[in-house]
Amino acid sequence: MNKENNSTIRIVIADDEVEFASTLATRLELRGYVTEIANSGERTLEAISRQIPDLLLLDLKMPDMDGLEVLAKLREHHKELKVIILTGHGSFSSGNQGMVLGAFDYIMKPVELSLLLEKIATATAAK
Amino acid sequence: MKPNKRESVFSKLSPNAFKSIFDLGLKKRSYKQLRTILFTTMFGMAMLPLLLVGGLGYYNYKDLLQTSEQEQLEWQLDGSRKSIEHMVESLKSIIQFAAKRDHFIELLLDDHLKQLYVRIQSYYPLLADLGVIDQNGIQQAYYGSYDLQATDYSEEEWFQKIFDRGVYVSDVYTGHRGVPHFAIAVANYDPKTHTSWVLRATIDAVTLQQFTNTIKTDATEDLFLVNNQGKLQTSSLYFGKSLSQFKYSTEPGIQHSVSESGEHIFKAVGAIEGSPWKLVLVNKRYIHHDDWKRFQLRLVLIILVSLVISYIVTLSLVGVLTNLIRKSDETQMAMVQEAEHTNKLVSIGRLAAGVGHEINNPLAIINQKIGLIEDLLVMSEADFAHKGTIQDSLKVVNQSVDRCKAITHRLLGFARRSEVYAEQLDINEIIREVLQFLDNAMLYNRIKLELDLDDDLPLTTSDRLQLQQIFLNIINNAIDAIGKKGLIQIKSQGSGADIRVIIEDNGPGIAEEVLPNIFEPFYTTKETGKGTGLGLSITYGLVKKLGGDIDARSRLGHGTVFTITIPLKN
Repeated sequence: MNKENNSTIRIVIADDEVEFASTLATRLELRGYVTEIANSGERTLEAISRQIPDLLLLDLKMPDMDGLEVLAKLREHHKELKVIILTGHGSFSSGNQGMVLGAFDYIMKPVELSLLLEKIATATAAK
Repeated sequence: MKPNKRESVFSKLSPNAFKSIFDLGLKKRSYKQLRTILFTTMFGMAMLPLLLVGGLGYYNYKDLLQTSEQEQLEWQLDGSRKSIEHMVESLKSIIQFAAKRDHFIELLLDDHLKQLYVRIQSYYPLLADLGVIDQNGIQQAYYGSYDLQATDYSEEEWFQKIFDRGVYVSDVYTGHRGVPHFAIAVANYDPKTHTSWVLRATIDAVTLQQFTNTIKTDATEDLFLVNNQGKLQTSSLYFGKSLSQFKYSTEPGIQHSVSESGEHIFKAVGAIEGSPWKLVLVNKRYIHHDDWKRFQLRLVLIILVSLVISYIVTLSLVGVLTNLIRKSDETQMAMVQEAEHTNKLVSIGRLAAGVGHEINNPLAIINQKIGLIEDLLVMSEADFAHKGTIQDSLKVVNQSVDRCKAITHRLLGFARRSEVYAEQLDINEIIREVLQFLDNAMLYNRIKLELDLDDDLPLTTSDRLQLQQIFLNIINNAIDAIGKKGLIQIKSQGSGADIRVIIEDNGPGIAEEVLPNIFEPFYTTKETGKGTGLGLSITYGLVKKLGGDIDARSRLGHGTVFTITIPLKN
């Protein structure tokens, strides 16, 4: 597993499924990324306002706030923040809507890690 | 609510059979029964007034005719009776006159009775004989063709009464002569001898017959005389010869009766004053018989023609009406079925989406956990027992997760955003885009493609992604159906306010019993694991969402045609 250059990249994983988020976090950490988990929309906004990450993996469905809502709020202050949307909706459409709101990309759950890693690499390459 | 109240009054009044037939609610109704009731009602309503007026006319006219008939019969009777009375009266007066002039004694002398006989006979050739009877009933003188000198009449009833009455007219009888006769006797008193005596004249009954024949007019069919015992005094057309018995009542007045053979008999009876006779007038036909028959014929004809016309018009009208109701019922039924079908699809879709979502999340966790285990296995440098088997098993678990993923993603397709992103689109362009995805699959399966896209197609306001998915699903299905080697034809054409896309394959086709179910979720004929049974139902939902329609026609062994109709404006 290639950990090169990843240690400086900080990723916030916003997902209310604790097991999913923590496992994904562990796997990303195994690849050298620094991760932080936020289990609700509110906590996601909090985490980001504390310290802006390099990338946000945002689930579209969270109990307190819709992912798109979180995205819209983030756009007010953090236009430059790169966001990859995690969608369980099985459709391009909500992903698409996210793209309209300025998300960098989207990926469908269950997540194919190799695909996600590619997208993360692309998103953070510009850094 | 007032209208409801009115309705309930109406429904209370109408019979149950009507209620169920005319209830316009959705249910099966018997059109045969409906037709019968409608026909009976309409035909009845049309015919009832006609029959009523016809019947009224019939009876009124009959009444009128009968009254006029009766009046005419009365006049005839009156006239005839008076004529006969007059005749009888004149006969009586001749005999009376003769009796007064010729005194009893004179008549007993040799030639006197003969001379009187000759004199009277010159007026009345039918005078048969003359007799002079003394107060003891013994015929003292006689002139005629029989030997009746000294006949004793004292025991006979007429003789016993003659001195009180003065004049006596007898019934017609044959007597010794064997020829019908009647007698007129006149009582007298001879002042010279101070005795009472009687002059008796016998007259041939032909007199009566001749007289009745003369007074009979064209309007009278039968006219004859009967005596008080009902014996015919003159012969009758219908009731036999003179002196036979008349079997009907001789009560004076006008009677209408029906004979044994069913003939109508109009009978008028009047007593002839000064005689033992009654005059009987008999008509077997109405005087206005022809008028009456003509009227009956016309009435029957008019009613018959009206009946036939009403029958035909009502029958065709009821036919048209019933067909209209049946068609409207069918349309309504089809609409309800369509709505039920759509509803069913929507609710199943919602359920499927819910299930899909619930499964997708744990699936995502399983997927990550396996990934993590695999990561850890790769990281652990040391080999341990069964490491290979574990890795192989994980690979299979992953494949299964992928299969589940495919299903949940399709299930979730139902919960797709409901809004439609409308933009101006060229349907042909979308078809071509979709075909780019499928180029390889068709090439690999050696499937030929024939495109017949109308280049003048107007732009459509619709949702690009959803249209893509619709065409993708249908063409994909066609490829799957064909298998290897075949032909797919895609045609686009404008059709009023719609655009029609026809996708046809020459695959094995869909069985007739399967065809109605193909748009239902989880309905698949593909082998297990190959299809989710959701493709066509998702497609159906998408087409409906865009305001369009999709229709499949198929023949086993010949292929399947899907026709997708998309409105130019949703």
